[in-house]
Parts: sequence; C-alpha cells; structure tokens
Amino acid sequence: MRRLPAALALCALAAAAIGAVDPARSAAPSEPASRVVAMNPSLAAMLLAIGARDAVVGVDDYTRGTQPEFADLPAVGGLATPSLERVVALSPDLVVVVPSFEQRDFRAQLREVGIPLLELDPRRFDEVLAALRALGHAVARREQAEARVAAILRARDEVERAVRDLPRPSALLVLQRDPLFVVGRGSFIAEMLESAGARNLGASLDGPYPRVALEWLVTSAPEVLLDSSRDATPAAEYWKRLPSLPAVRADRVVGLSPGTATLPGPWLDRGLWILARALHGDALPESAAP
Amino acid sequence: MTVLSVRTLLLTLAALSVLLAAAVVFGLGVGSSGLSPGEVWDALRGQAGDGAAADIVLRIRLPRVLLAALVGAALAVAGVSFQALLRNPLADPYILGVSGGAALGGVAMLSFGAALGLGYSAVPPAAFAGAVAATSLLYALAGGRARFSATHLLLTGVVLNAFASALIVFLASVAGFTEGASIFLWLIGSLSGARVELAGWVGGFLALGLAASLPLARGLNALALGEESAEQLGVDVERAKRVLLVATSFMVGAAVSVSGLIGFVGLIVPHLLRLVIGPDHRLLLPAAGLAGAAFLVVCDTLARVVLESRELPVGAVTALVGGPLFLFLLRRHTLGVTR
Repeated sequence: MRRLPAALALCALAAAAIGAVDPARSAAPSEPASRVVAMNPSLAAMLLAIGARDAVVGVDDYTRGTQPEFADLPAVGGLATPSLERVVALSPDLVVVVPSFEQRDFRAQLREVGIPLLELDPRRFDEVLAALRALGHAVARREQAEARVAAILRARDEVERAVRDLPRPSALLVLQRDPLFVVGRGSFIAEMLESAGARNLGASLDGPYPRVALEWLVTSAPEVLLDSSRDATPAAEYWKRLPSLPAVRADRVVGLSPGTATLPGPWLDRGLWILARALHGDALPESAAP
Repeated sequence: MTVLSVRTLLLTLAALSVLLAAAVVFGLGVGSSGLSPGEVWDALRGQAGDGAAADIVLRIRLPRVLLAALVGAALAVAGVSFQALLRNPLADPYILGVSGGAALGGVAMLSFGAALGLGYSAVPPAAFAGAVAATSLLYALAGGRARFSATHLLLTGVVLNAFASALIVFLASVAGFTEGASIFLWLIGSLSGARVELAGWVGGFLALGLAASLPLARGLNALALGEESAEQLGVDVERAKRVLLVATSFMVGAAVSVSGLIGFVGLIVPHLLRLVIGPDHRLLLPAAGLAGAAFLVVCDTLARVVLESRELPVGAVTALVGGPLFLFLLRRHTLGVTR
C-alpha cells in the first residue's frame, strides 16, 4: 500500500529538484489583459501590489486560502491539481503561471485551447524584479510596477549602506525543520541574505534550497540562526535543544513568520529590512530603518 | 519439534548482542562531521562540555541510534509474529492495515497540523491514534466471528491499507509544497526527527509486544503445523491470535508513529534469521529483536553518512540493502514458515 503515495510524493519532489526546465516563454498579448488567472501566490501578490486586483478573475487554491484580498475569487486548483476546465470557464485573456514541472501538461493544454500564457519564474532577485515589470506590462500597470521595483532597489541600497560597517555574522536560514531544508546559493533569498550583511553558510552547498543533515548544521556553527519554518514550536524554543550552537548561546535565533521574507513576491524591500534586523538586532542604526 | 538447548539459546543471543553492540558503536562513532573516536568518547562520558561534539553525539546521534534500535527491534519481532500468526511468509508488520491507519493519522497531521497550530510533535500521537483505530477496525471486522481466519484477517488488512492509501493520496494532492516534502519523508520512513523522549514510548510498546509474544512462542511453533494440530497439542489458538494481534499491532503503531513506514526490516530480518538459526520461535523472537535493532542502526547510520552534508531517509536504505538481499535469498532457498 505504501508504494503509490510514495511514488506520487517522489514525483513531486523530483519536480521540485528539477524545477522549471523550460526557459520563461512569453505569449502575452499586446492588448492589456483584463481577465487574468494567477496560478501562483507570488505572482498573485505582485498583481495585487501593482494595483491590478480588478483584473484578476481567478487564482490557485493556495493564493485564495492565504491572501484575503482574493478570498472571493473562484479557485482553480493547486500546484499539482490545476483544473483546466475551471480556468477555461473563466474565459481569461491571460494566465500567469510559474513554468513548474507539475503544471507542464496544464500549460500545454492551455496553449492548445489558445489561452495566452505568461510564464514567469522569479528565482533570483533580478528575476523577481523582471517578473514585476512583466506583469506591469501585461496588465497596463507599468508605472506602479516600476515604482515597486524602484522601492525595492532603494531598500537594497539603504540596507547595504546600513550594514556596511557592521560585523557580518555567519548565518543559516532554515526553511523547514524535518526534513531540514536551508537556503543555499543562487536564489533571491540567498542574495538578500548577502545584502542584509550575512555570511550565508548555506552558500557552500549545492542548489538554492538544499536538504541538510542536522549534524551538518551543528558543525557549521552559525552565529545567527533564522527559522521561517511553519512548525508551531517557536524557533528559540526549538533550537535551544542544541546548546552548542553559537546562535543559541548568544540568543540570536530568530523566527521569521513564513512567507514574509521568503516569498519571491513584490515586497522584497520589507524582506530585506526584516532580514537586516534579524541579523543585526540593535546594532542596526535606529535611523536606518524605514 | 527440535530440541532447543539453553546453550544454543544463550550463545545465539550473546552473538547477536555483540552484533548489536558493534552496530551501536558504529552508529555513535560515524557521522557527517567526522569527529575523532576520542572526541566521541569524551562526549559520551560528559567531558565535552557544551561544545559541538556534545550536541552531535548526545543530542543528534544518540537519540537516533536508540530509536533506530527500538524501532528495528519492534518491526522485526512484529514480522516474526505476523508471519507465524498468519502462516504467510509474505506477511510483514504492515500487512494488517496498522501501517495504513498510522500513515493516515500521521499524514493528516502533517497536512493540517500547521493550520491547527500544531507542530511536528503532534505527528506521533496522531499516527498512533490512526494505528489504534485501524487495529480496532480490523478486530471488529475480522474478529467478530467465533474464529479468526488468517485469510479473513489478511484480506481485511489489505483492504484497510488500500483504503488508507487512497485517502493519503487525496491528502497529499491538496497539501502545500512543504507539507508534501514532509509527507514524502514520512511515507518512505525516516528517523531524522528522533528525540530522546520518544524512546520510552517505543520501548514501552516493544516490551508489551515481547511480553505478549514470548510466552506464546511454543504456541507459535505448534501453529506452524496447522491450527488443528496446534489445538490438538493443547494450544489455545484463538486466544493466542487475539493477544498477539492486538499487542503486536500496538507495537507496530508505536514504531511507525515515530519513524514513518520503514520497509523491509520486518520482512527480511525474520527470514534471514530463520535461515541461520532455524524456525523455533522461542529463539527466533528475541533474536529478531536484537538483529532487527542492529540492522536498522546500521542502515540509519548509512543514511546519515553516504551523502555527506545531506541525508537519506532510512527507509530508502533498508529497501536498497534489503531488496537485493531478499531476492538473492529467495532464489537460493525456499522460504516459508508453514512447512
């Protein structure tokens, strides 16, 4: 009995590992879209942030459940369970989607029925900004998108300036506790950790979000431990069972509420300040914070 | 029935204890951080202060070795019991639906626990509740009649597992991405969440399982000749079945609740031992406990070290090691407990 669910889960995991192999392909129409279906929480949050809520007619299940602004919209399925029929029934003039392995068939089917697709894959910092701009272009909110991009870039400058003269603590950002996943290298969040003045120990590992052994975490001895996992036990309480961790001894274990700094969405400026504060605490100049 | 001398019993168990001790030393001594034997020894004696070595040895490796030993023992003993009870060489600890119930309970908590404000620590109790529910259902469905039929038990268990499996697929489909990774890990079996507090829990149910099965070892030997023959030899077959079914199911439920569905231990270890030490359950049951413990400790240590900084789920290692071994043995010998 164990084989079927295990195999399914394996597929999901393999998909996560392979990630989006397709390069971002854009088939967006030249006319501004006014009936958009957003298949991903980051992209939906971006549309909301650039003032295009009115143009959205449907979202994925996760977005609908987590972003109250979209709670009254029809949901069109999850990452692994998108409903082609529901999407088509909304007669959208644009579907914005992350080119994930899970939704490969779904995207092919959308192309077949002739619904325009905008595929965006915001993984690195610049790609998040590019996604904001692309969405601004697609729904004719260019100015708002540019303003958001400018605010993010300004925040990055300010954060980098604020932490320039501070010591750079070695740090790890835990995304999930069991299985233990941390931020590695080559993601927007890894770049933000650097900008916020951390020496990210996970950068020595392969991949953007590697799975690590607990023993490796102890050996790497982070001075600051950031934890954005969704477990109910508070971060400081959970990690104090490993008293040798420098972060535990110095009381520098910081819980980040999941998704605030770790979602490749429109609010990277806030995320940068959250990370800077978590990394430097009171050492961050009072005047520097927005 | 062959005569089992006390000498053979003691020698075999002593040899397996040495094997287990060696496995424990291996498990405590080896890990991705490459501590020297001296550092490990100091940490074990409490002389490493509060350095990283103390955390690694006492708070990461020791709970895992302990839990691996207890879970391995429970699964192997359960395998022996179920194979004898059902007179089916393919029986493993999961065959009667206990695992399906436990997996459903665990996966449900993994999927919805966060929404209810419950963390990973709520997963073992939820899984155990699932195991108890499945056992009760099995008992009510298959045991409602005057006699427990092995076929009836098996079929009921298979259907319970299939039903639980379908519900798990449903839960996995609606779960978020991070939950998906946890569910995957749980279904394949892993000891990465080992905490020392869980050892008492599994140990208690292992003791219960052994306390129920060891006095019935002679009865299980007789059962191998068939139920009627066993009854003619004075074995209360129905009572033995009910006691073993419930005690063993609870033991499996406790093991699964802390580690997920670690496969092959409960299938391979009993068969390996039958080939080496024979089919006498008075020896086979305690020997399975020791050998199962040693096997899982070694597999979990391999799971921790083969990928350096990363980690494999131990269920993948037991299947990788156990699968080919099992096929090899199957080709070389005729396996069976019913002969």
